[in-house]
Amino acid sequence: MTPSPAPQNTVVEAPSGELIDEESLVEEVSIDGMCGVY
Amino acid sequence: MPSVTLDSVVAVHPRVSIRPEPFGALLYHFSTRQLSFLKDRMLLEVVRACDGTRTLGEALGTTGVPAAQTARYLRAVETLVASRMLESASAGTAPRRTAPDSATISTEAVA
Repeated sequence: MTPSPAPQNTVVEAPSGELIDEESLVEEVSIDGMCGVY
Repeated sequence: MPSVTLDSVVAVHPRVSIRPEPFGALLYHFSTRQLSFLKDRMLLEVVRACDGTRTLGEALGTTGVPAAQTARYLRAVETLVASRMLESASAGTAPRRTAPDSATISTEAVA
């Protein structure tokens, strides 16, 4: 079963100047050191 | 200054394999051994549209990304360029063959 990504949010500033807590669309993981782990 | 703009032309790195998932997609880079989770199916379509022949603006338009979400998707593409899942390409370049499909991932991972 493929692991699902954990939520990772970023705070961005809207054109109005309002700060928005926005979930990132991409999350990155390195599999170095995970050989043999499934 | 962002490294990618709506005028940028990018393509999936030839050593990257894409596997669609219910939450979006998994990208695996066979050279860097990095995984990227795309947490949105529309972003997967954007990545697929990035074939080195059209600009990012065209790719976003083709896949129906709402204008209000453009900056968010540009940030996502920028992240993928920074991790070498996507790479800059010259406009008009013929699409290159990408890595084999997901069935190959486990084969190479075991070898």
